[in-house]
Amino acid sequence: MKIDNIDNIVEFKNVSMQFPGVLANDNVSFGIKSGEIFALVGENGAGKSTLMNILYGINNPTSGEVYIKGKKVENFSPTEAIENGIGMVHQHFMLVPSFTVAENIVLSKEPRKAGFIYNKSKAIEVAENLVEEYGLKVNPRDIVSETSVGIQQRVEILKTLYRGADVLILDEPTAVLTPSETKELFAVIKRVVKELGMTVIIITHKLYEVMAISDRVGVMRQGKLVGVSETKDVDEKKLASMMVGREVLLEKLEKTGSPGKLKIKVDNLYVADNRGLPSVNGVNFEIREGEILGIAAIEGNGQSELVEAITGLRHIESGHVYIEDKDAKELNARQIRNAGVAHIPEDRISTGVSGPSSILENLIIGKERRSQFSVKGIHLRQSSIRRYADDLFKKFDIRGAGVDTRVESLSGGNMQKVVVAREFSYDTPILIIAQPTRGVDIGAMEFIHDKIVEKRNNGAAILLVSADLDEVFRLSDRIITLYEGKITGEFKSGEISKMDIGYYMTGDRREGTDE
Amino acid sequence: MNKLKVNYSYMISLTLSIVIALLIGAILIIATGHSPSEGYGAMLEGVFGNSRVLGNTIAKSLNLCLTALAMAVAAKAGMFNVGGEGQLYLGGLAATMVGVVFQDLSPVVVIPCALIAATVVGGAFAWIPAWLRVRLNISEVITTIMLNSAAIFFCKYLVNGPLKSTEKGVVAATENVYAFKMAQLIPASNLTTALFYSAAIALCVWYVMGKTTIGLEMKVTGENPRFSGFVGLEKDKMMIWSMIASGAICGIVGMMEVYGIHGRFTENISNEFYFDGMLLAMIMNYNPFGIIAMSFFFGILKIGAYAMELSTGISGEISQIIFAIIIFLMAAQSGFKQYFSKKFIKLKGEQQNG
Repeated sequence: MKIDNIDNIVEFKNVSMQFPGVLANDNVSFGIKSGEIFALVGENGAGKSTLMNILYGINNPTSGEVYIKGKKVENFSPTEAIENGIGMVHQHFMLVPSFTVAENIVLSKEPRKAGFIYNKSKAIEVAENLVEEYGLKVNPRDIVSETSVGIQQRVEILKTLYRGADVLILDEPTAVLTPSETKELFAVIKRVVKELGMTVIIITHKLYEVMAISDRVGVMRQGKLVGVSETKDVDEKKLASMMVGREVLLEKLEKTGSPGKLKIKVDNLYVADNRGLPSVNGVNFEIREGEILGIAAIEGNGQSELVEAITGLRHIESGHVYIEDKDAKELNARQIRNAGVAHIPEDRISTGVSGPSSILENLIIGKERRSQFSVKGIHLRQSSIRRYADDLFKKFDIRGAGVDTRVESLSGGNMQKVVVAREFSYDTPILIIAQPTRGVDIGAMEFIHDKIVEKRNNGAAILLVSADLDEVFRLSDRIITLYEGKITGEFKSGEISKMDIGYYMTGDRREGTDE
Repeated sequence: MNKLKVNYSYMISLTLSIVIALLIGAILIIATGHSPSEGYGAMLEGVFGNSRVLGNTIAKSLNLCLTALAMAVAAKAGMFNVGGEGQLYLGGLAATMVGVVFQDLSPVVVIPCALIAATVVGGAFAWIPAWLRVRLNISEVITTIMLNSAAIFFCKYLVNGPLKSTEKGVVAATENVYAFKMAQLIPASNLTTALFYSAAIALCVWYVMGKTTIGLEMKVTGENPRFSGFVGLEKDKMMIWSMIASGAICGIVGMMEVYGIHGRFTENISNEFYFDGMLLAMIMNYNPFGIIAMSFFFGILKIGAYAMELSTGISGEISQIIFAIIIFLMAAQSGFKQYFSKKFIKLKGEQQNG
């Protein structure tokens, strides 16, 4: 078979991918031109990653053909994909944490002495040359586990470049980055495309990024390709409705009422991180009923430890957290929950759900001893539990085969809905919410945001921590910035712009503002 | 929730594994110069041939069932108890001592006391590794293995030392326990009133694990301990108590060996019974109902092997091999399943397109 367009470096022809019970890709055909930045967007579970995994040789399509540089590829593996110049940076980095940056870059193709001895100095030299060539700044001698996620991502990219990739697939590259890191990454992408003639495929949820960087964009929905167009011919609204299949109104959320009674008070709080180093250094704030306090901070500035301290999952070194009139220092996680705190954790897979358990079990756990669900807190009332779980399943629009489905088989967005459904149905006066929509598609994000604001309007006191500045700005009534465990600024919603708040998030307070 | 929902694909895999294992067993029997029908026939004869052997088979199955449930109780909450053998020995020893000390009392008093002693000592001995795990994060796998040796050698020392008398020989000191031996339900067989205790324990484990809040909390804790703490479950307590329950069941098994079969404490009250139970529990995915059902199959295999060896001369090790093959195939089942379902989907896709 001949291909239609010889310019296309990658060509999908009627590609379908059937997983047990799920048609992940349904007859997808399109091409990617050499030297372009192609954005692939779609909701979670739309089949973007599956399609890219096919290109990278992780999945072999059930039917259809894939051409790379005009050559039909069949039954091939990532090794062969790499040989064909395909490189992929996954959402979850695949680096060896205890190795140095240089070692990670050269891994699988290490420079050697006498054929079998690893040549360390050569590896560093190779890494340094790559850094120079592509302008991705990393220190080859750093240990990967001690570097930031932004650096780790650069290492991932350098790794693929070292292996000679000319088609680079980036799976949600900005999900873990700060605004300035994103900017830098985009600059690098643009440069490698322009100067080195590389082709970049970028999978993303964030539509403004599509607009900012891509030449063309393809939209997927439920395994099908909805359309491919020049980026300049579409806008964010159009893309969003293509993705979701209906109008998406990511507009102003209606907030009603005014703050009431004091619900949570953090008083001169000090908390240490896992290594025992100070992480939260004397933080003070209050949250009243009917308000959302947002924390804007770059990852690793104490916000995770702060949340864990408030919810009883981490030891408080000194200071106090008052939940209504109780001192959280004297309570364990269970007692804090009973005192009226629900918590959406930042890492849903390891903390927020039990993956091998069913949706039903994940929804009911924590409430199983209520008399509604068990006789004397012991014998489970199966039918009442089932009714309750079915109800939440519907109310929170969880999409899966039913409440007996294992949670680990759900997409990120649906998994998060399970967490939100469980936590919000405690009906507690206080909600501690961390990264509520990380890795969640736009439809589910809209839904979760609506639910959070609904809670607020009903009088809940909410602490919101998010790496997504848009989210913090959209939901919060007040915003505080955290830098190295200290509060560097406090603003009312609308008092500050996203760009300006970046200064406070990096500890770079503008002159004259204080001290 | 552990509803009695049958996992069909699992059942199919299990049946297939058993059939394949028996076929390979047959080939091995042929290789040793016998006929499989002779071998398996002798096996069945040795298991169902008369009421006495039938009784022995049931007794063996109960033993397997309880040790497997003990494993499952701990494993459900995420604790891998390899120390059942030691807990069994010490439970048996404690129960024996009750009989020795209260030799003048009625069995109506002594047997419940012995049961309690076995439960407490078995549980307490399991508490040590559980506590070390929860508090100091020391792998319970390693500590339970080491504590096995500690317990078993301690028992060996007692049997060959303090419990020995110069006139009457080894373990003379515990021979009066014979007076309290449980009544045989089938004459001359190993099947005693221990059957009722075993049934009660099995029922209890099945109920707690499948039907109660505690079972649900244990399951969630075992599947994701971080999550368990996060939603406010008392996961440390749960892990410790599941281990204690596991040890207690093993202790009771030890008690039943002494009071049901030997009538005294010996250094061989268990012949790695717990390890057989562990394997059974793992094959059945720690599902209590499955364990109860399958324990009879494995009981037949175990007892049948002795009979086969005695009457035909075919080595009883064949049963070990069959055991091992089933375990091997079940361990590989998810891999096989994936492979075949992929093939199947591909085939279907090609049919649709072609």
